[in-house]
Amino acid sequence: MLIVCSAIVLPGQINRGIDFVNNKANLGLPKLPSNGFNLGLDLQGGAHLIYQAKTDAIEGKDRASAVEGVRDVIERRVRGGLGVAEPLVQTTQVGGDYRIIVELPGVTDVNQAIKMIGETPVLEFKEENNTPQRDLTAEEQKQLTDFNKAALTKVNQALADLKKGTDFATAVTKYSEDDSTKNNVGDLGFINGDIYPEIYNWAKTAKDGEVSQKFVSSTTGYNILKRIAQKDGDKQVSASHILICYMGASNCDNAKYTKAEALTKITELKKTATIQNFAQLAKDNSTEPGAAQSGGVLGYFKQGQMVKAFEDAVWNVPVSTIVGPVETDFGYHLIYKTGEQQEKLYDVARILVKTKTATDIVPPQEQWKDTGLSGKQLKRAEVSQNNTTGDVQVSLQFDDSGTKLFGDITTRNVGKQVAIFLDGSPISVPRVDEPITSGSAVISGSFTLSEAKLLSQRLNSGALPVPVELISQQKVDATLGSDSLVKSIYAGIIGFIAVILFMILYYRLPGIVAVVALCLYSALSLALFKLIGVTLTLSGVAGFILSVGMAVDANVLIFERLKEELRLRKSLRGAMEEAFVRSWPSIRDSNITTLISCVFLIWLGSQARGFAVTLSIGVLVSMFTAITITRTLMRWIAPWFNEYGNWMFWGHQKPEVQPETELVKK
Amino acid sequence: MTIPFIKYSRFWLFLSAAVAIVSIVFLVIWGLKPGIDFTGGSLLEVTFEKNRPALDKVEGTFSELGLKNTIIQKTGDTSLIVRTNFLTEDQHQLVLRQLRSNFATDNTMREDRFETIGSSVSTQLRTRALWAIILVNLGIILYVAYAFRQVSRPVASWKYGLLAIIALIHDVLLVMGVFALLGHYFGVEVDIAFVVALLTVLGYSVNDTIVVYDRVRENLLRHNNENFGDTVNAGLNQTLMRSINTTMKTTLPLFALFFFGGMTIHYFVLALIIGIISGAYSSIFIASPLLVYVEKWQRKNA
Repeated sequence: MLIVCSAIVLPGQINRGIDFVNNKANLGLPKLPSNGFNLGLDLQGGAHLIYQAKTDAIEGKDRASAVEGVRDVIERRVRGGLGVAEPLVQTTQVGGDYRIIVELPGVTDVNQAIKMIGETPVLEFKEENNTPQRDLTAEEQKQLTDFNKAALTKVNQALADLKKGTDFATAVTKYSEDDSTKNNVGDLGFINGDIYPEIYNWAKTAKDGEVSQKFVSSTTGYNILKRIAQKDGDKQVSASHILICYMGASNCDNAKYTKAEALTKITELKKTATIQNFAQLAKDNSTEPGAAQSGGVLGYFKQGQMVKAFEDAVWNVPVSTIVGPVETDFGYHLIYKTGEQQEKLYDVARILVKTKTATDIVPPQEQWKDTGLSGKQLKRAEVSQNNTTGDVQVSLQFDDSGTKLFGDITTRNVGKQVAIFLDGSPISVPRVDEPITSGSAVISGSFTLSEAKLLSQRLNSGALPVPVELISQQKVDATLGSDSLVKSIYAGIIGFIAVILFMILYYRLPGIVAVVALCLYSALSLALFKLIGVTLTLSGVAGFILSVGMAVDANVLIFERLKEELRLRKSLRGAMEEAFVRSWPSIRDSNITTLISCVFLIWLGSQARGFAVTLSIGVLVSMFTAITITRTLMRWIAPWFNEYGNWMFWGHQKPEVQPETELVKK
Repeated sequence: MTIPFIKYSRFWLFLSAAVAIVSIVFLVIWGLKPGIDFTGGSLLEVTFEKNRPALDKVEGTFSELGLKNTIIQKTGDTSLIVRTNFLTEDQHQLVLRQLRSNFATDNTMREDRFETIGSSVSTQLRTRALWAIILVNLGIILYVAYAFRQVSRPVASWKYGLLAIIALIHDVLLVMGVFALLGHYFGVEVDIAFVVALLTVLGYSVNDTIVVYDRVRENLLRHNNENFGDTVNAGLNQTLMRSINTTMKTTLPLFALFFFGGMTIHYFVLALIIGIISGAYSSIFIASPLLVYVEKWQRKNA
């Protein structure tokens, strides 16, 4: 018996030691999450959102699956977009209403989270809208023609004046309609080709001081120009390159090489590369997409447009040198510097006579018009990096119909701009250089990596199958949460110590046994919380703390009974067994009533659940520890005090033992 | 030493009835103040780094935004709790922006807590809470009747159950009465946590009564030739230390939570403490004397 008892007790003690130290250490630290307890929102901060799905438009039998679809999309958005590791997204049905409950532990920017969850990103491709809202009426047409005729007369008058020897500055004051320059002798300052391409092109062939003989048409009207000065702008470098990318390199889709192989390959290429064969080598070997056509030609670029390592390698070497291998995120590059120049800037003055187009009289409804291509035709979106500039971008791959549409759009808009709209505002307005029929496109706004990730994830997760409405939110700041956590742990420890002191002082040795059982109880419960993954909320901690008190209740019942039985002069052993047997129905009944309450509290949901779960686990565990463990320990200890029973430590001692008790015992 | 509880049972029953009646009066006059869990609405807790603005100014900010029925309370040294209508997320952000621009230009304001509950959720919580209370009561009555099925003399087993429920009603009334009082004078609201506390008290109160009745039952089976009142009194005395000790040990951690556990669960814990103490009291001073009365009454009518 003793052996069996100790066999039961000892592993228990060892386990208890381990568990207890573990849990105790956890308890002592304010930062519980890292140690693996599932903390509720009120203890670690975070948000609890309840959405109502608007299922009116959906037929009854399809509603549940549609709402499940919403749940999946929301979960993807939350996991990917917000990076919440342990989100809880679940659906519930209340009457005929479908709801989605989203719990986001640790999320600080709830506003952002709500945006992410509830809003579907609308991605649209639009093309330039040059068609006026309606055709001009005959009268308007005449008005337009008259206006432009007058402009032509005016500009010719100005040219005539200049020919007659009128000073350019005087002519500016007299004729120019450009309000921003007319009071400054028409001076536009130094310009490059980006803003005034027509004027820049004229200035390139003119000399300083030269005035244009004819007017130069631009989008805004007729210009008479005078080149004032020229200067060097930024240095530009042109280069071609061969890229060998390897597994793990950025944007390396079909990696053929490991990193070491790539280095070997590029080193070999370096040995054979000459200025003459560079283009061919690039066509044959470069892993850069499109290199087979381009021969690796990059054209002119300014400082800051390329990734740093690439730029550094090529910037200051003489033209016609081949440098490399250069390592960037994209792989190894072999670079042939093909040219270097200063961009020229010209200081130009102008006389502007404005003209009108049909859109000035009847403006186009929108600058951009719909093309019918949108995020719906998207197969997938992913973050990538521009091979040369290193800018973060989002690559799109369209499905079949999207590929066709995109091909048509790019075909009819070569040389024009196409705008990519996200949620109604343009995020990228690239110029179409050539038709794209491969069905892939790139959005290159000025994204940060995380923004690009967010966008691609939002695009991938797709639209919500059913619109949702936020009907309830709860949000707790992390500071308040950890404050509550520390306070409740503090309170729990104080309560625990108070109970321990009380038990030992009042019941003495059995009290100590009960405390041992209580410690084991706490360790076991906490371990269970961890194992089952109970989310500890503030009310859950309260439930646990309350259950500590209740756990002792069983022992109190037993010990009171023991005292009574001992008073009836039973032997220690006999009294003990009697006490356990007789207290059991009370312990069972009282715990069952608590469990009945708990069952309905769990059903009630909300904060009630956390409380009820910890309390019922506590009650169940306490039935085990307070009875089985205490009994085992008591049976184990009893023989130490071998005078069959009554010794100083017991609540009420009866030293004069009658012989009849001996009989009872045997 | 035996304490003659049953002898003075008239006094205790009178006292208990008085407590219950006063509680009912409080409930009728003031009622419980339902929190946003049950009415729908928003609760916003903000903390200012320094210079907490005056309440009427904050209220002004809310009425500027067209939000009526705003209740603003101070909490802690630097925080405010605002209760107002249901806010959509846009309105919520607007409120924060407005508060920051009005009061936090050279100060920082942190949003500690925000809860907003729409009417559909609060309706659901309300009906669920009601059902939970009804079902818990039903469950407990059934269980008590089942547990006492073997003891039908001298008092039928279902009567034990009924008396346990009477004791329980007293406890619940007391807790609700105290919260009606708190609600009237301190604006304490009744939320889901309160219902949780109430249901826990239900379980606990019956638990206590069961322990006492169990002992009475055991005594009845052992020596059934005694006077019924004496048997009950003996049972009470035998379980007295247990009742006191258990209540002490359960409330000790709760008191720790009450004093050190932070504001959020302050009233939740208070409801538990009142209910648990009352649960122990009612088992001794209501449930047991009533048992004796029932037995007397039965004999008279037999």
